[in-house]
Amino acid sequence: MKKVGNLLLGVVTSIGGFVEVGSISTAAQAGADFGFGLLWAIAAAGALLAMLVEMSGRLASVSKQTVAGAVRQRFGFHFQLIPLGAELVTDTLLLAAEIGGVSIALKLVSGVGFQWWVVPVGIVAWLVLWLGSFAVIEDGLGLLGLMTLAFVISAWRLHPPVHSVVRGLVPTVPGHDLTHYGFLAVSIVGATISPYLLNFYASGAVEEKWTEPDLWINRTTAYVGMGFGSIVSMGVLVTAAVVLGPEHIEVESYEQAALMFIPVYGRWGVTLFAMALGVGCLGAAVEIALNTGYVLAQAFGWTWGADKKRREAARFSAAFTVVLLAALGVALTGFDPLRLTLVSVALTVVIMPFVVLPFIVLMNDRELVKQHTSGPIGNAVLATLTILGAILALIVIPLEILGG
Amino acid sequence: MELVRNCLDKLVVDRNGRQMGRVDGILLECTDGTPPRVSALEIGPRVLGERLHPKIGRLIAALEELFGVADGRPVRIPLGDVLEIGTAVKVDAAIGETAAGNVEQRLRAWIAKIPGA
Repeated sequence: MKKVGNLLLGVVTSIGGFVEVGSISTAAQAGADFGFGLLWAIAAAGALLAMLVEMSGRLASVSKQTVAGAVRQRFGFHFQLIPLGAELVTDTLLLAAEIGGVSIALKLVSGVGFQWWVVPVGIVAWLVLWLGSFAVIEDGLGLLGLMTLAFVISAWRLHPPVHSVVRGLVPTVPGHDLTHYGFLAVSIVGATISPYLLNFYASGAVEEKWTEPDLWINRTTAYVGMGFGSIVSMGVLVTAAVVLGPEHIEVESYEQAALMFIPVYGRWGVTLFAMALGVGCLGAAVEIALNTGYVLAQAFGWTWGADKKRREAARFSAAFTVVLLAALGVALTGFDPLRLTLVSVALTVVIMPFVVLPFIVLMNDRELVKQHTSGPIGNAVLATLTILGAILALIVIPLEILGG
Repeated sequence: MELVRNCLDKLVVDRNGRQMGRVDGILLECTDGTPPRVSALEIGPRVLGERLHPKIGRLIAALEELFGVADGRPVRIPLGDVLEIGTAVKVDAAIGETAAGNVEQRLRAWIAKIPGA
């Protein structure tokens, strides 16, 4: 019974934790610019993410190792520097973007400029990290994240034409702005498959002491949680497509994105949008910061764990604090938070092969995962799509920057 | 040489099951006329730095001196004290008897002053 309870909690928190600054901004832009035309990108990215998350949970349950630790052991320190460095850079940028997201949410409800909120938001995130156990961080923020279901409700109540929505699930070449379309497709993939999620999920499985008999819990949490999570992202896209698209409102700032809630929620629309954005981003910020502590501690063999007293894992606690400070520094330089988000999610797709390819090798190593290796089809699909994604990203990012 | 492949970069746990770090380096002993022989495992960021470039190693060593945690580092575990090589390398030592926990303890002294830690 306890296991069923854990499973439900895991699924619910995955749904609540799915949507954050990257998914909201990319899905909103996609909906406003291309109607339902990019729904397929969310579906495909969600499926890929579910596969990867399931793998990382399987690795942790069977080998008691996380992705970062296993990469160091299997490939050595020299190789590890590439994914480790790439992950720390993207995590810091994304963390800054999430802090920006919470600050924008606070600006939307208070009217006070977002720069004034950066430091208070950083302090709140640090307090949650410093005082919260793993359960508080994962479950508490995940449950609060169910606020983001407001996007699904809004999409539902707008009664989008079903045949157009279904057609959006099939990739098509748009009649206009091919580069921008490609850029948004890449950004959606990058926003959905954040590398931090893989190691964070594996570390959580180790913290919660999952073992081989728990593999079915892992599989269900990954596929059902990420599946329903993708539906929340689709809710953002559909709402933006129905509300913003016909008015030709391009999402160039979060203030414009917030307008998408007005038709369904009326005068509470902006407040509700701000709450969903704020809660989603705060949850992601805390998880990303915690993950940087996990990654560094596991790579160098330090004691780690959100369930340990902070002083009992001093280097781990110091590591996430330092990264949080660095991200605050980035957020304070006054980057436009929406641009920062788009840059960091697009960059994620470029580094993806360095994270995913070694991970596939690990998942086929019987010393680590015993008989629970990945199948050849899954391996091939993941490897091909990751490499294709990175190539596409390298083509469209410069074009988008030059064109925009 | 099989030992290098088997040990390098693995987690090191002491005889009480406490984590000591990772096998950051392996010390070889070379005597004339015989093949090199593994003599000890090394733990410490200085060794890791040396693997990348001697200058990085020296920089880390200087930082360790500066913060007063350099005594007894890098930690060397003689091959004879290796108890078991599995997913982790178990050694016949206790982290408290070595300098492997120096940085952790130094940081702990600071962090323990922060409320809630």
